[in-house]
Amino acid sequence: MSPRLPTAPRRLAARVPVLALALGLAAAPALQAQPRPDRPMGIRDYAITGARVVTVSGQTIDNGTIVVSDGVITAVGRNVTVPPEAWVIDGTGKTVYPGFFDGMSTLGHPQAGNQRPQFAGFGNQGGNDGPHSWGPEDRPGTHSWKSGAEDLDPDDDRFSSWRNAGFTTALSTRSEGLVPGQAAVLSLGLVDRPRAMVVATPVAMKVKLQDRSFSGYPNSLMGSFAYLKQLYLDAAYYDRAWDAYERDARGKSRPEWDIALEPIRDQIKSGYPVLFPANDRVQTDRAIETAEIMGVPIIVYGLQAGYEAADALARAGASGLVDLDWPEPPRNSDPEAEPNLETLRLWDRAATTPARLEAAGVRFAFYTSGNAASDLIEGMRKAVSQGLSEAGAVRALTLSPAQMFGVADRLGSIEVGKLANLVVTSGDITKAGTRVEMTFIDGDKIDATPAARRAEDSADEEDDDNDDEVMAPVPMAADRGAYRSDPVTLIRNATIMTASNGTIQNGSILIRDGRIAAVGTNVDAPSGARVVDAAGKFVIPGIIDAHSHMAADAINEGAVNVSAMVGIKDVLNPTDVGIYRALAGGVTTINILHGSANPIGGQNAVIKLRWGGDKEDVLIDAHPGIKFALGENTKRDRNPDRYPSTRMGVQDVVRKAFMDARAYQQEWDEWRAGGRQGVEPRRDLKLEALAEILSGDRWVHSHSYRADEILQLIRLADEQGFTVRTFQHVLEGYKVADEIAAHGAGASTFSDWWAYKVEAYDAIPHNAALMTERGVLVSINSDSGEEIRHLNQEAAKAIKWGGLDEESALRLVTLNPAIQLGIDDRVGSIEVGKDADLAIYDANPLGMFAKVEQTYVDGMLYFDIEMDKERQQAIEAEKEALLERYGPSAGGRGTVTDRIAPGPRPDANQELNR
Amino acid sequence: MRSVAIVAVAALALSAPASAQTYAIQGGTIHTLTGETYVGTVVVRDGRIADVGPNVQVPNGAEVVDATGRHVYPGMFDAISGLGLTEIGAVDMTNDSREQGEFKPHLQAATAVHPATEHIPVARANGITHTMAAPDGGIIPGQASLVGLDGWTVEEMNIDAGAGMIINYPSLSPGRGFFRFGPPPPFSETEEAYEENVRKLNSWMDAGRAYAQAIDVGRAEPNLELAAMAAVVRGRQIVLLNADSERDIRNAVEWAEEQDIRYVLTGAREGWKVADFLAERDVPVIVGPSQAMPGGPDAAYDEAYANAGRLHAAGVKIAFATFNSANSRTLPYEAAMAVPFGLPHEAALEAVMKNGAEMLGLGDRMGTIETGKIANLIVTDGDPLEIQTQILDLFILGRQVSTDNKHKSLYEKYRARPRGRVVS
Repeated sequence: MSPRLPTAPRRLAARVPVLALALGLAAAPALQAQPRPDRPMGIRDYAITGARVVTVSGQTIDNGTIVVSDGVITAVGRNVTVPPEAWVIDGTGKTVYPGFFDGMSTLGHPQAGNQRPQFAGFGNQGGNDGPHSWGPEDRPGTHSWKSGAEDLDPDDDRFSSWRNAGFTTALSTRSEGLVPGQAAVLSLGLVDRPRAMVVATPVAMKVKLQDRSFSGYPNSLMGSFAYLKQLYLDAAYYDRAWDAYERDARGKSRPEWDIALEPIRDQIKSGYPVLFPANDRVQTDRAIETAEIMGVPIIVYGLQAGYEAADALARAGASGLVDLDWPEPPRNSDPEAEPNLETLRLWDRAATTPARLEAAGVRFAFYTSGNAASDLIEGMRKAVSQGLSEAGAVRALTLSPAQMFGVADRLGSIEVGKLANLVVTSGDITKAGTRVEMTFIDGDKIDATPAARRAEDSADEEDDDNDDEVMAPVPMAADRGAYRSDPVTLIRNATIMTASNGTIQNGSILIRDGRIAAVGTNVDAPSGARVVDAAGKFVIPGIIDAHSHMAADAINEGAVNVSAMVGIKDVLNPTDVGIYRALAGGVTTINILHGSANPIGGQNAVIKLRWGGDKEDVLIDAHPGIKFALGENTKRDRNPDRYPSTRMGVQDVVRKAFMDARAYQQEWDEWRAGGRQGVEPRRDLKLEALAEILSGDRWVHSHSYRADEILQLIRLADEQGFTVRTFQHVLEGYKVADEIAAHGAGASTFSDWWAYKVEAYDAIPHNAALMTERGVLVSINSDSGEEIRHLNQEAAKAIKWGGLDEESALRLVTLNPAIQLGIDDRVGSIEVGKDADLAIYDANPLGMFAKVEQTYVDGMLYFDIEMDKERQQAIEAEKEALLERYGPSAGGRGTVTDRIAPGPRPDANQELNR
Repeated sequence: MRSVAIVAVAALALSAPASAQTYAIQGGTIHTLTGETYVGTVVVRDGRIADVGPNVQVPNGAEVVDATGRHVYPGMFDAISGLGLTEIGAVDMTNDSREQGEFKPHLQAATAVHPATEHIPVARANGITHTMAAPDGGIIPGQASLVGLDGWTVEEMNIDAGAGMIINYPSLSPGRGFFRFGPPPPFSETEEAYEENVRKLNSWMDAGRAYAQAIDVGRAEPNLELAAMAAVVRGRQIVLLNADSERDIRNAVEWAEEQDIRYVLTGAREGWKVADFLAERDVPVIVGPSQAMPGGPDAAYDEAYANAGRLHAAGVKIAFATFNSANSRTLPYEAAMAVPFGLPHEAALEAVMKNGAEMLGLGDRMGTIETGKIANLIVTDGDPLEIQTQILDLFILGRQVSTDNKHKSLYEKYRARPRGRVVS
């Protein structure tokens, strides 16, 4: 690509008819409606003298001169001779910056509408008649071949307002689809031909995590991650297949040409980045991890809560695009409604993000998700007020985006040889009241319009009003994390219910380095040990919930009947306060399962409740699992109709899935056995997960209710050669307990829920006890953010209904679920060598009157009933301070709009899992 | 609150045929809930407690129920439930609690209470002997019926078909419904909707007054709805006034005071925030489940656990309700859950046995073990609030009732399934 643009023809109005022909009929009316140019053009030589020149790449030059010729900077400096042909602009008192660069936009393209999420299964709420995706093989949401450089609409009103705000350059993409396509760097000058705006393309590939331009798969956040990974894996395979074919086509069948994969193949080869959405720390971690699998560098966009993600970005070497349309409290909100702390913190801290990124050494640029370029300037000033350096702000508006998009050789700083994209301002742009007076774009001088100046003036007044409002963020209460972490702790004088070896009266537990080092009646406190006197208290192993849906931003990928490719790990959210509340109920480990929308659901995640930890802190190495589902939830009517609608169909779907998986495994086995000759087969994330079931590397946890459907899956598993690890819910398990035990499956059930649907009508509270009596390994689970807080009581119900002894009852929520998840080597009972995951109650936990006083995970104190009160006070104090600033009585300035963060969206199927 | 003689209720004497059998429950620890607990005998005759005391003579011909080593308590009262009005939640055709329309004051739950529902034997097997079966939905969904949990027909179960009028006070804090995501609507819209709903509610109250006046002067045309409202405005029927959030509770209570009606507050999820306000006005409260989530992500983990105890501590009289049918049997646990979080154990027992009857104006007939009261009794092997406790004997409306139910029979049937049959 030439840095020098063809300049001569574009100034000739006479070329318009030719252009109209070139663009086709559709574009012609627009061109006729607004003939260009409508101003004098043709001056190609300028000199700006006497100005403060902020070069960005080098020293700022006071009283400097810039010479521009034919669109390019030809000289910069204090003592520059102005050539005689140059039109001299007196820059005295002005400041000249490199033209500002909007890091991401849809300029020249249709704007994304205010999209409300649409949920499959709840009717066609959006009147959306778009294309339908039936599975990972269909990709109506991928427009990777579409380019921000193509079909540019020169009449987009935003071009002039962006110029008026000092923007000479923008990254632009289309907006529709999960993959809207290739990003182009555009120069925002007044041109006859839109193509003359294009500086470079493609420079990035934009992806999103939600979109409603199509229906079907994926319809969950979890599905979007699997979709994007599969897309890039497919492109890699596509590349291998075509490479091999193009090297020697003879004797080979021709790979299918694919419009969606071609550009991604090019992207992977040339290594240009993906633009990936993420707002906060959790989302940023996900984005980085996904991009690694995609095999391309990442630029994260969004980042309004990027103040907590700076370190993660720095570690990954990722760049960021910060959305400067800062979130604000809504107008006209309920005067008594209290926004939650997370929202208040976002309002308070969003604008500190650039400062934090700067401090962490992360390269970043700016964009706005709003409609006004002035948001960018005002948003930048707010960031400066929150600690971003002035130089850093200017760099983020100029050189950083040019570097991120590989055009720093021609843009981003004031250097000889670079494009003459400049902005002349009345002063320091980071200061309120400074206005843009003119811009140079590709050497063309464009004055700010009077309307723009008026708008600026009124904005400045508003700015002035706000000047005194600059406040440092309210300090954050320590609302997460362990209360204590001691290398050695001794809990003594307690009644210890071990769950494996009976109950020890007046016993002690020694915890060393997170593990149980000793248990018994004669354990002395080593010197330096923290001693917890638990006289009168009861200690049990931390409770394990074998079926939970908390701490995840999506639960069901119900658009397809087999969604084995999706996984909870992709949407894990360790900031869910449900974790802390479960700790307050003595729970230390949970199995987060996919929902029951489809016969084969997604992959699970087992986490320890290390509240405040990141994904890697909480995830533990349980045996990988996957959710299956039988019965009513899977066959419930959906829109559009999705197979199956009967239990016959459910079995059919599962059987065929395993047939496909077997064929897939065979293809890989043959390739490996053949010395890895030929093209490496296509990786299919769905079939890979299913093949793992057949090899025993992934366990099936199947939602089930009726006795007959339980038997059907046992028969099918026998036929296909795998063992169902657990039946979940399994409310009629007591009717076929012998068969479940003979198959070797476990059962994870509710204590006493029944009658909420037909297949739950024969549920009995004796289920757990009766199955146990018949030799089934049984656990009791919550499937609920509420129930999880008193699973000890739910276990005790098996004593009442069915007569289990206390230890067997306790095992229902400790050792048994540990075995079912393959983690009993480290948790589930109080034994030497196991993790020190413990809950201390003030009375026998197998009753109603016991409450948790302390909960330990890996020896660290994560819940303490006294310290909880202090923490709660600190949270309330912080909240009060924030409400003073942002509460409804403080008067909102934002608008009530449906701002959709580029991350999680609520999962409508979540409550239908049970 | 106005104290009105319960003419209507008292007129409805037990319509169910009392058991011809006389029972003497002998040798158990009798928790009368009048402040006295002693080992003694309860005599049950004609549906009532004929005698109770440490030294009571067993009448000739009485069937003796040996309660030695056991405990006798008043039966538990689920102060608002859906018992009899629903069978299978997900199957619409089995649900009879929610009628169309927002104002249906003349409808009575007893009309639809299904005596043969499987839910009733399940609930009573855990010691629930009577309940207010309540319609729901809309603003005035109809009248709750006080029913005993035994009877071949609803007449045999029925204590009072029109025991209370349900009014769901319009909310200024509408929750985000299942299908509603994103930010709430502008508050002005919520306010308008609220004001419109209150206006509608007031127009029904005013119409009830006009109708009452018309009755008094003998000029009332037949009108089922207004006749029902007239009973409310005259204070003849107590109102079960539902409100959950702090603001809604204040608004509801102020409205009820303006309207000068007899009422109890129900729900009261944020009752603890206005405990003193309620105590000052002597407003009794039927609270919902303690095993409920805190009010938001920043709330204390034990907010719902502690609600009942905080109300009690402030001096508010509380009763418990499950607002549920299949889970009505968990009523004792909703009360028990509040105990480690501040509700005294004795208060928890009163809240599931005695207070509900008192606050509904039935205290002279139910709620304690005293001579002359309806014989709703449970015999247990321990504290009825405790999970491991078994209900051994049940007396409902003076009849001895089995603890058998669908669950027990399925358990016994499948426990007896011969072993050894396996698939494939």
